[in-house]
Amino acid sequence: MKMPKSCLYFLFFVCLLLTSCSPNKLSTYKKSKALMDTFVTITVVADSQETAEKVIENAFDVIGKYGDLINFYSDKSELSAINRSAGIHEVRVSPETLDTIERAVFVSEKSAGAFDPTIGPETKLWDFVKKIRPSDAEIKKNLPLVNYKNIIIDKGKSTVFLRKKDMLLDLGGIAKGYAADLAVQALKQKGIASGLVAIAGDIKAFGLKPDNKPWVVGIKNPRQKSSEDEIIAKVTLSDKAISTSGDYERYFIIDGQRFHHLLVPATGQPAYSCQSATVIADKGVMTDGFDNALFILGPEKGLELAKEMGLNAMIIDSKGAIHTTSGLQGKLIIERDH
Amino acid sequence: MKETIKNTTLADRLLFFLLISLSVSGIFISRDALSQGSDVIVEVDGKPAYTLPLNADKRLSIDGPYGPTLIEIEKGKVRVKESHCRNQICVRDGWTSRGAIVCLPNKLVIIVGGSNKYQKQGIDAITG
Repeated sequence: MKMPKSCLYFLFFVCLLLTSCSPNKLSTYKKSKALMDTFVTITVVADSQETAEKVIENAFDVIGKYGDLINFYSDKSELSAINRSAGIHEVRVSPETLDTIERAVFVSEKSAGAFDPTIGPETKLWDFVKKIRPSDAEIKKNLPLVNYKNIIIDKGKSTVFLRKKDMLLDLGGIAKGYAADLAVQALKQKGIASGLVAIAGDIKAFGLKPDNKPWVVGIKNPRQKSSEDEIIAKVTLSDKAISTSGDYERYFIIDGQRFHHLLVPATGQPAYSCQSATVIADKGVMTDGFDNALFILGPEKGLELAKEMGLNAMIIDSKGAIHTTSGLQGKLIIERDH
Repeated sequence: MKETIKNTTLADRLLFFLLISLSVSGIFISRDALSQGSDVIVEVDGKPAYTLPLNADKRLSIDGPYGPTLIEIEKGKVRVKESHCRNQICVRDGWTSRGAIVCLPNKLVIIVGGSNKYQKQGIDAITG
């Protein structure tokens, strides 16, 4: 029996369509979980859902275990042990906790204290939901407790000591980026060549998407006009991390003045020269730490520091003007209506 | 009809199938591009428990290991108004229109929609 030619053509097209959907083709798989008191989403490029589930769950475990070590609010964490022992004795910690604190001190030193992980005694005075603004006297009283130079690290003994009693080390400004680095490392160890780890707004991308294009990350508009999320710019990334700090995350407004959670360590008052600061670098721990520092420093000094450290940055100043490092040319797309 | 088919060339037939394929896929593409509206998904202990529209003001109380958690939806935003957990991180998060609010002690995750729009624009994640 001879098959008509048109039927053959039709079968050829059906075969084409079927092979394009074959199960061994690389696809993206995404899963989310609540960890580190936030929402973590991991996307991987894998050949099957089974493989993806396995590697993502392993990465979640890595983030969860690390989060337990540096949890500011848990009595069982190593960080809480350091804070409880402030001014009393040193505390022996895991390599991950020690490494995070060392890097936090590094960012503090490079930014001349614009980022300071000992800001805890000042931040605890503010309540951005109940709109509680501390008095100047309260702020002044706690200022002597804020100084990263009073963090004593002994690498040999793997210990950390806070020199003054009532000092509070808070790694919230750097730990999510560090966790993203750990998760990417875990995914790579399990054979994943491409993916994206997003721990809230601290994101690390590696490899390329199945269409061989880099990952695309949207940067939130700090002054969005509606309750719907608005993007001010898009950036393409591969083997890079990105983080943003903004004055819109936790804030309240009294008599037209915005009071937000990004405090200047030297004064204990909110910083007012930026609306947001975005940093792009190889490591999440650097983007997470330096986005805070750049926000506090403002557009001029912030971009200077970014260049000095070899980072890329986009800073939106207090008037809404966008400032970027030259390294972002060709990678950043500013949305039309901004 | 048979005569018409007989007179077509290979290129005509290829074009015919291409147009058919495009029109079929077009149905799915346009369906995908339609606005779905944003939802609030409340997960309890890792499983979706409630789905609520973001554009309808509502209050919802959910029991957990630390007692009831009061979730409030108003003017397209969501917040945890009250929780009996120790650290009150979920309450301190305040109002949000995108992303998630997490209360680990109560094993509660509130996911707020809105990211679909950006996925369609080829955005894989949002920082900020």
